[in-house]
Amino acid sequence: MASIDTTSESARRPFEGRRVHLGDVVLQGVAGAAAAGATALVLLIAWKVVDGARPSISKFGISFVWHDVWNPVVGREAYGAASFLFGTAITSFVALLLAAPLAIGIALFLTELAPRVLRGPVTSLVETLAAIPSVVVGLWGILVLGPALRSHVEPWLHSALGWIPLFGPPSSAGASIFTAIVVLTIMILPIVSSISRELFLGVPAELKEGALALGTTRWEMVRGVVFPYARGGIAAALILGLGRAMGEAIAVTQVIGGGTTISWNLFNQGDTLASKIAAEYQGATSNLDVASLIYLGLILLVLSLGANIAAQWIVRGVARRHGVTRGGRA
Amino acid sequence: MPNLGTSIRIVTALAAAAALAAAGAGAASATPAKQLTTLNGAGSSLIAPALAVWGPAYTKAAGVEVNYSSVGSGAGIAAITAKTVDFGASDAPLTPDQASACGDCVQIPWALSATVPTYNIPGLHSGQLKLDGPTLAKIFLGRITNWDDPAVKKLNAGVRLPNLKITTVHRSDGSGDTYAFTDYLSHVSSQWASQVGTATSVSWPGGVGGAKNPGVAAVIASTPGAIGYISVAYVIQNHLDWARMKNSAGNFVLASAPDIEAAAQSVKTVPAGNKMSIVDPPKNAKFKNAWPLSTFTYVIVHTVTPQAQALRKFIFWALTPKAQRLINNSFLVFAPIPTVVLSAAERTLNKVHA
Repeated sequence: MASIDTTSESARRPFEGRRVHLGDVVLQGVAGAAAAGATALVLLIAWKVVDGARPSISKFGISFVWHDVWNPVVGREAYGAASFLFGTAITSFVALLLAAPLAIGIALFLTELAPRVLRGPVTSLVETLAAIPSVVVGLWGILVLGPALRSHVEPWLHSALGWIPLFGPPSSAGASIFTAIVVLTIMILPIVSSISRELFLGVPAELKEGALALGTTRWEMVRGVVFPYARGGIAAALILGLGRAMGEAIAVTQVIGGGTTISWNLFNQGDTLASKIAAEYQGATSNLDVASLIYLGLILLVLSLGANIAAQWIVRGVARRHGVTRGGRA
Repeated sequence: MPNLGTSIRIVTALAAAAALAAAGAGAASATPAKQLTTLNGAGSSLIAPALAVWGPAYTKAAGVEVNYSSVGSGAGIAAITAKTVDFGASDAPLTPDQASACGDCVQIPWALSATVPTYNIPGLHSGQLKLDGPTLAKIFLGRITNWDDPAVKKLNAGVRLPNLKITTVHRSDGSGDTYAFTDYLSHVSSQWASQVGTATSVSWPGGVGGAKNPGVAAVIASTPGAIGYISVAYVIQNHLDWARMKNSAGNFVLASAPDIEAAAQSVKTVPAGNKMSIVDPPKNAKFKNAWPLSTFTYVIVHTVTPQAQALRKFIFWALTPKAQRLINNSFLVFAPIPTVVLSAAERTLNKVHA
């Protein structure tokens, strides 16, 4: 008892005095450790990826990137990333091209045009789209979307726009680059639209009202006030969507059909960096096969890093031009 | 009076509690005797339905629990190499690379199954399409592209084949089925052997990829004119249409258990590593109905393993005629292993120790 009393007498007050300071130290420590941990994790992953890819890097060097061959048969092994890079590029860029106007349209509708009663439900429904597991989207793609695109959309596109090499003869199977593009479009739509919605909500009401008071139409107000205000954020949102599209593996694996050649016809089968890794990693036949798949992962890592840096660079550029504003949230 | 009633109720409750406690104590004292040993395995999806039957049956017979996750042959080999499971299962024998990575691993043939060509041709039911090896190879090489091709017509006299584009379907993941299928095509077509080769995953001349058996089945089902290959058990369970194949005896056969067993009878001696190929078995007067796309499937264990005793017992049990019969019925179609292979398997198994 006595000893407790003495400790409380001698120790409590300094402790009380130090409490604020201690909280700061703990906060500093925990937050710092979290940040350091995340940084260390990224570096560790990057190191492991480079290390795992080493057999393939030393055998094929940088020419791996532009060689269009993938043969895992023991005794005649040859690996190259070209067709997968092409597949990743064409699926993610076309998906972004389709998703961008749709997503921005949805965001505009929800912030500027929709009746107030509709805004809540439609917003949560669009965001629910992001919560659907990609394997379920892929399953729907293989069973419903793919056959529908093949039977109805692809023949129509081919007959109307067949002179463009992208719209060649339709595939006989539902699985194609085109199906993968549509699936990816659906998957990045909620991300881009919800970020854009937040950006549009951040446009100060005074600016919009001022424009309307000057006699602009709603479209002129959107074009003259909302878009310029949110431009940088939207660009960053699109790049985030692009990163999502590049990295998506499972849903793409299910619907892209695993083609191994570079084909400009969207209705042919293809493969992307991520889908190739997802499809083959578990059943890889040799150490060189595993190393080459990790090499694909390394290329993907570099691409996503590039996309992230580009997004930050754009946001910073816009922030500098406009001064830091509430719209700079993204 | 109510007091008496209450006290009676209390006494009864106490008695019940005592009885429960006694029962509990009894159960507790019985538990150590019933403590289950557990064996964990992973790998081939082809063998998964067999293990789903073997697992509970063996728990009942020997009090050992067998867990199995169907992650694919390649992943199973990776898991046993890393010793995260007690046994791996693969439909393709270990490649030299895999064998050296796995160290003291041995592979033991423990079941016999087959892969079958599956198709979607409107108007044609199961077993109505007849094919032979060279034609199948030409189809998958992209040299025969339409179902009314003369080569296909010649094999199918009396069947109306539509003017329909052929779409070939293959596994996009590494698979034992792909191994058996490409092994067969390499045996029957020199062009296939030189251009593509045999492996669990190959560079396909064309066609559409599907993930695992269900992925291939889904692509075939949604694509008129499609042909692919799927494990026989999966084909039967899902009522898919499959083709008759011409074997080296010149007969068109379906992949029934006796046909698969007949193919395995072609094994005369088992090589040291237990690696056997029974695709396209040579003509044999006794086994005229051999299915040409049959394959052994293997269990892979480390020679030195702490679970040696339990593993040995379990695999010995799986090789008994009784266990083999459990997985040979109208749903599963794993044919019994021939005697010569069985004794080789048992010899290998005897090397496994703690």
